[in-house]
Amino acid sequence: MEDKVELGKLEEKDVEKVLDLIMRLKKLNQEFDSTFEVNEDSREDALKLLKGIAADRECYFAQVAKSRGKIAGIIVSEFRKRVFYKPPMEARILEIYIMPEFRRSSVGQALVDSLYAECRKRDIDLVTAEFPSLNVIALNFYKKMGYREIVSVYGKQIRKN
Amino acid sequence: MVPESDQERTEHFNRISLKFSEFYKGKTMILPKVPINDLGSFSYWYTPGIAAVSTHISKDIESSFELTGRWNSVAILTDGTRVLGLGNVGPEAAMAVMEGKALIFNYLGGVNAVPVPIRTKTKEEFITVARALEPSFGGFNLEDIESPKCFFILEQLQKDLSIPAWHDDQLGTASIILAGLINALRVVGKKIEDSRIVLFGSGAANIAAAHLLMAAGFKAANLIIADSKGILHPEREDMDTLMLNNPWKYKLAMSTNGERRKGPSEDAFKGADVIISAARPGPDTIKPEWIKTMNSDPIIFALANPVPEIWPNVAKEAGAKVIATGRGDFPNQINNSLIFPGVFRGVLDARSRGVNFKIMVKASYEIANFVKDPTEDKIVPTMENWELYPQVASAVARATVEEGLARRNNSTEGFYKIAREIIEENRKAYRKLVDGNIIKKLPEMD
Repeated sequence: MEDKVELGKLEEKDVEKVLDLIMRLKKLNQEFDSTFEVNEDSREDALKLLKGIAADRECYFAQVAKSRGKIAGIIVSEFRKRVFYKPPMEARILEIYIMPEFRRSSVGQALVDSLYAECRKRDIDLVTAEFPSLNVIALNFYKKMGYREIVSVYGKQIRKN
Repeated sequence: MVPESDQERTEHFNRISLKFSEFYKGKTMILPKVPINDLGSFSYWYTPGIAAVSTHISKDIESSFELTGRWNSVAILTDGTRVLGLGNVGPEAAMAVMEGKALIFNYLGGVNAVPVPIRTKTKEEFITVARALEPSFGGFNLEDIESPKCFFILEQLQKDLSIPAWHDDQLGTASIILAGLINALRVVGKKIEDSRIVLFGSGAANIAAAHLLMAAGFKAANLIIADSKGILHPEREDMDTLMLNNPWKYKLAMSTNGERRKGPSEDAFKGADVIISAARPGPDTIKPEWIKTMNSDPIIFALANPVPEIWPNVAKEAGAKVIATGRGDFPNQINNSLIFPGVFRGVLDARSRGVNFKIMVKASYEIANFVKDPTEDKIVPTMENWELYPQVASAVARATVEEGLARRNNSTEGFYKIAREIIEENRKAYRKLVDGNIIKKLPEMD
């Protein structure tokens, strides 16, 4: 089933399908940590967010991998200013998801490479990625690509039982 | 008298099982197998003489297979997490069942099987205990361990140990399914490489069966796995969870179902030649109308216990040609007891370091070929076919030699002689105990 995979920018017509992939990613996060319990009612808001991302190519880089017209993978990243530090800009990977059939077939690498190419165009040197700390699959994925932990976000639920 | 109705029959067996268990207080025992002429004999069976044997083994570990009973000892290991259809009843409760297994091991295979239910929580803990027990045994039979834990444990032990590790609920069931399937296909005149197989239910047995079928030449693309969540395919919603928790099923999702069929599980039946069902007990789990959507001469293995997914007569009316179940009161009983005593006899006689799918395929063919003229009502032997066990044993033992796993070399005929003699001698000893009233007669039922 390994047909040629083509990369291209996320367009509004693909947003519904891409959201399905991102929901899979979120549900996987939920498996690792109940703090990331997926809100099934939020589809409309999520669609709006994604459409905004697709439209704002200045602040976001959202790239889709397709095979025979089907979505095989997605990467979404945001370009952020670093006011206090050098270098002054970073690309933050927010979402990356590859359909199971296309894993271990370099689709993920191709999507990340396309982000790197975009960064070079914009003269951005730092790429970061965010994911739930307990998601070991994501952790291994980034470690394998040479990423290391540089920021921690700690959380606690404060509502009294 | 055994009652007619299923319900009454079950209750009848429950009642006598409890009563007999209380009467005998355990099903196997350890007896000397060497002469003790007087207490002086212990000077060579025990200290001081035995020190020489101990020293010998410490210098040559492999000689533990020749100078002690290790060669014929198997541990039946369980954590009691998935006992029969009862679920997680714990190791103490599992003992009753493991003793029964030990009895079959000994009676049919001449194997000294020791029930070892252990109190472990995690798979890592289980593996640690199993590794620690390796020096005492010639093989491990894993039993009644919940899925997917059982896959991790078996895979790790097969990698780590230099004795065979076998999980009967996976490998035993898969081997006897394959044996039955080989003959069922012979009966309907279909070829392995063209047959379209549906594995209905995705528990340990069917996951192992899928892997074994592929090792036997069935095409992965022609297999479809279906379970309570529908047909398994790479885009199914639970794929990420599977990748995490059940990589064996995940891999099958990628390699099977070449046409990438999707939908509810009954859609898997369309155009299939064979249904191997190890799913929820019936009798309405498989519907007759699903069978009507299958290819010509459907083969149905409805293996749920105690009630098959569909009653054989109902399946037949719907057009099924060959039907097998897990029960002895219908033709074609797919029964692990046809396989594991022979397999273990074989690996033990060859002092094998392991067991693998290739060896299992040979065992399955040996069982299939044992049935000289298979018919729709006779695709597998029955447990009374005594000749079967040494025959399977010798095929397995020879296969371990060919796979480079055996510590002891011999021809198939040589291994057959060894296996037959051990099984016969063991049975003779048992007969003596019965005839001498050492083994007491069954108590009267009130």
